[in-house]
Amino acid sequence: MLDEPYRWVEAIHNRREYLEDQLEGASPVVGVSYVDGVLLLTSTPGPRKVFEVYNQVAFAGIGHPADIEKLRKAIIDIAHVEAFNLSAGDVSLQRLVAFGLGPLVKAAFDEIFRSPFISRVMVTELDPANPLETFYTVDADGSFSSSADAAVVSDTTDGAAAILEHLRGGDDREASLEAALVRALDAWAVGRARAGREPDEEGEEGVEPVTEQDREAAVRAALDAGRIEAAVLDRTLPTKTKFRLLAEADLEGALAPFR
Amino acid sequence: MESADFLSILKERGQLPAPQAFFPPGATVSTGNGVGPAGVHTEGTTILALRYRDGVLVAGDRRATAGNVVVYDRAAKVLTVDDRSVLALSGSPANAYEIARLLEISFQHYRRTQLQELSLDGRLRTLSRLLKDNLPMAMQGIGAVVPIYITHEGSGPQAGGRIYFYDVLGANFETVDFCTTGSGSPIIRGALYFLNRWERPFAERDEAEALRLVLQMLETAAEFDTATGGFKSTAAIYPQVMRVTGDGITDVSDADLATHYASLQVGS
Repeated sequence: MLDEPYRWVEAIHNRREYLEDQLEGASPVVGVSYVDGVLLLTSTPGPRKVFEVYNQVAFAGIGHPADIEKLRKAIIDIAHVEAFNLSAGDVSLQRLVAFGLGPLVKAAFDEIFRSPFISRVMVTELDPANPLETFYTVDADGSFSSSADAAVVSDTTDGAAAILEHLRGGDDREASLEAALVRALDAWAVGRARAGREPDEEGEEGVEPVTEQDREAAVRAALDAGRIEAAVLDRTLPTKTKFRLLAEADLEGALAPFR
Repeated sequence: MESADFLSILKERGQLPAPQAFFPPGATVSTGNGVGPAGVHTEGTTILALRYRDGVLVAGDRRATAGNVVVYDRAAKVLTVDDRSVLALSGSPANAYEIARLLEISFQHYRRTQLQELSLDGRLRTLSRLLKDNLPMAMQGIGAVVPIYITHEGSGPQAGGRIYFYDVLGANFETVDFCTTGSGSPIIRGALYFLNRWERPFAERDEAEALRLVLQMLETAAEFDTATGGFKSTAAIYPQVMRVTGDGITDVSDADLATHYASLQVGS
């Protein structure tokens, strides 16, 4: 039946709808730069969502845990084979995404008799050769884009846009980790509170704005249901690996007002 | 379940071909003149690890040789594997460096994919597999590697500084007090045993005392083994010495080594 081109297009369209349905309600991941490196933040009911890929590369994803794990394993394998065949300095985010993760996700998305990756991922590199490629996001269809100071993966494009808009107001690469945590958590809460608010027939203008109370409620709900998870790539760490998963104590300053 | 083993991943992708025998079975191949089983070339060098009060000191001379020719006098033979372990290498440099590199990346890969550290037994086994894979090269007399693996375990029944040595086939053995391999090792092995047994156990010595002893042993090996390089004051070439302790791995600086050499009146 797929010999007929329109059926293939229809199948791909159905697949996009399926992915949107599956990703609905996923907690966003927010990435921001700060004075010592890069911070990734999200919420989770249990399983980890933020991971180390290589010395200076980190990964976070939303979606099906098994698919996040598959993609995480894939990018770690690619990075380490690259480091073995060439050198640690040749492991770059741009190459990992453009020649590794992106084509892998795209191939799964296009093969309509196989399950696609039900996942959107963010990868980040500390001090990349091109600062415009500090963050990459890879969508479930394999398309990817890069950014310099902040990035988001969210269940909806509206939610992602709202978070980025909120982050744009307070862009500060010189911020301390504590300040960056507060900023990222606030932006995350905007996206979380925004979830499920569909524009009415009048369009975007009809979406009810997210208030401070909404944001507080979103953080409290996340803490009740699980925990806030955050990790940094910190250039001041003396070890080869710059990844550090933040402990409860590191997060306490940002979370205390919600407890 | 997908493989968590980096060596298997490389092999599946055809990027780690198993070394092949270049010569048919029974062919005569020239062997090196080092110390080791017949037919196995043990390269000229001296590496040494000893347990002292705070951990383990690991040292190696800097000379690389090919037959009777000194090829290089700044070779690194003690390589950091991760934040708590090092590999001290005697043998063919090309294979030794490749094994050290594979070991380092394998441990990193395991930690990152499995979200836990590889156990000590798992790390020892990985090195065994690498040496076993290298056997055809070793048996041809062109690529033997005889490493010492030194680690400092933070907790559990294996906590503290530990020293493991290997044979060319990949068997590993734990040694309690000290270990030395390479062509210069037979010269100092008896002296080390004597000092540890009848003078003062190494485990009771502080770092300064243990460090002086290590430097004395390397100088002694260099005196009688042409393949072991001694301290060269004119070129300021010092041996490589690392501390493996509960605080991690640190290099003993050239300045510290210079002070100790001066007190030992070596190179003056």
